[in-house]
Amino acid sequence: MISRLGSISANIVQFCRFLRTRGYTIGTEEEITSLNALHHIDLANPDEFLLAMKATLCKSKKQLNEFDELFFTYWKELKKAVDSKLKEEKTLKKNAASPNEQFKSLSSWLKGNQNNETLETASYSSFESLSRKDFSTVPDDEIDELMKCMKSLSRQLAARVKRRYEKTSNRNLPDLRLTLRKNLRRGGELMDIVYRKPKKNRVKIVILCDVSRSMELYSAFLLQFMYAFQKVYSRVETFAFSTSLVRITSMMKENNFRDVLEILSKESSGWHGGTRIGESLETFSREYAEKLLDRKTIVIILSDGWDTGDIEMLRRNMENIHNRAAKLIWLNPLAGYEAFQPEVSGIKVAMPFIDVFAPAHNAASLRKIFQLGVANLKKS
Amino acid sequence: MITLNDIKRMLQEQGYIADDTVAMSVFLSLQLNKPLLIEGPAGVGKTEIAKVMAKALNTDLIRLQCYEGLDANHALYEWNYQRQLLHLKMVEHNSQPLEEKEKTIFNDSFLMKRPLLQAITHDKKPVLLIDEIDRSDEEFESFLLEVLSDWQITIPETGTIKASFIPQVILTGNRTRELSDALRRRCMYLYIDYPDFNKEWQVVKTRVPEIDAKLAEQITRFMQELRLIKLEKVPGLSETLDWAMALSSLHIDHLDKLIIEQTLGLVIKDWRDSRLVQLSLSELLEKTGVISKVESL
Repeated sequence: MISRLGSISANIVQFCRFLRTRGYTIGTEEEITSLNALHHIDLANPDEFLLAMKATLCKSKKQLNEFDELFFTYWKELKKAVDSKLKEEKTLKKNAASPNEQFKSLSSWLKGNQNNETLETASYSSFESLSRKDFSTVPDDEIDELMKCMKSLSRQLAARVKRRYEKTSNRNLPDLRLTLRKNLRRGGELMDIVYRKPKKNRVKIVILCDVSRSMELYSAFLLQFMYAFQKVYSRVETFAFSTSLVRITSMMKENNFRDVLEILSKESSGWHGGTRIGESLETFSREYAEKLLDRKTIVIILSDGWDTGDIEMLRRNMENIHNRAAKLIWLNPLAGYEAFQPEVSGIKVAMPFIDVFAPAHNAASLRKIFQLGVANLKKS
Repeated sequence: MITLNDIKRMLQEQGYIADDTVAMSVFLSLQLNKPLLIEGPAGVGKTEIAKVMAKALNTDLIRLQCYEGLDANHALYEWNYQRQLLHLKMVEHNSQPLEEKEKTIFNDSFLMKRPLLQAITHDKKPVLLIDEIDRSDEEFESFLLEVLSDWQITIPETGTIKASFIPQVILTGNRTRELSDALRRRCMYLYIDYPDFNKEWQVVKTRVPEIDAKLAEQITRFMQELRLIKLEKVPGLSETLDWAMALSSLHIDHLDKLIIEQTLGLVIKDWRDSRLVQLSLSELLEKTGVISKVESL
């Protein structure tokens, strides 16, 4: 009896190791928990065994979804033979997912989508010096570097606690000055105590990304940019637009790129179609602006400004957004080229309402913008 | 000794339709005395589990609702300053020595216990529900980690209080923010998704027993189809129940377009969604079989 239980627990420990190679965060504590769980269930019932393992070893929705399959794979292998199981495990280890795996696969997938068209248009960027690569040709290892850069930038932005204080109802630190003042009329008897706490930076960011045909080279990267940004900074709302506007915040948050791309391609002429910035911004002002914009919100528009729609509408809505938001930043991937002049009619009318206009064609340019953005915010 | 079947029965008696995964997680979290972290979309009955658990264990439910800016003081305890001041005023001309006076104002009657301290000092094992933990700040999350592992709280003026009964903890989250790995690892994890047709139908029938059988089925089908549309705020089980209760108290025994249009506000809580649903209502009704049935009559 004892030896049998012993072999089960050894197998469970082995199973935990197997799960670890599949990206499960399982330490000794989880192993102990799962072994303890065995005391409370009916071991003769395989369903109960599976449920108990699932309940104790999974720590996220993704893991829950994958668990059944992994469980059956493992115990089936185990039944075959001990030797082959060890071999199996070695090959599995190679597949172990690194944290950026998803990111890379996304990038290759997105790039795969562009096939030969990329080759033709990419020649535009090859005019540029080799040291500054265009996003459209960023290799995977640079994406890692880019991720890192974005993380540090957004962390700066997210630095929430300021050194100034604000009033609060939380009983942290009494605000002596306000307290004395408030209680003066009681002859200095301190009845009401006023509290203060460090002020928090509650900057929100709204990103509107152009995914029309003229932006094709960049939109794959820019979607990644929005994804990475959302990963490290929680108060971000994301939209994609071409001829119409789609809110993609929740999909991005759940890592549903397939959903994002599917929705974008469903907009028949949308994904990589023509652009109507004016109308998209109109939709934004009408449906979302009131809810999302305030004096603590930065709006970032990622677009080349090639507009085929109503220019007056664009002007009106740029003005509206400019008036409501703390800052309006326009990032233009084309602006990185020396020959670039803001001649595009769309940008021309929008220019007066843009606080920061900057190129966004490689990582260096993005870094610059964010340093600028952070500095500006700190001032205001 | 509680068995898995006892848990299933208890949940059922309280009107909670649980599948095996839910029952096992609740069972093991009770047996191993581990916190249970429940994630899932809004309105699928995450909070309900804690309530049912408290009822089933015949104990009290202490609830800590998290929000952005919640801090340790609001979750633990506060001194009742005004009362302390009044008390000092009253004993001002007393000949009592200063230390004595000080001692009297720092005792339990001036202490306002907040949920966490309440849970720790409770006289029997309570169920502590920490609701929407993902809304709180990261600072609070790490503070919570400390409490959840030590189960003791130090009040500088009076000393350290150790929990006499370790509370049964349930944490819920909507995935508005990724929770830290440290917190995840301290807990058992459960994800509750939108219910499938059978489960939702059962829940409607159990929770709204007076409902017409046909209406219950139609409502469930409609809700199942509704969740397939890309909505901003996908309605959960609680919306289904609200709707079922409303329709049944109106003595309606079947759905039709007009009724749905009039009562859609119970299910759809976002104006963009409501516009979208209204536009695709006929299609939805066809899919749920409401229109063809009506027409064939």
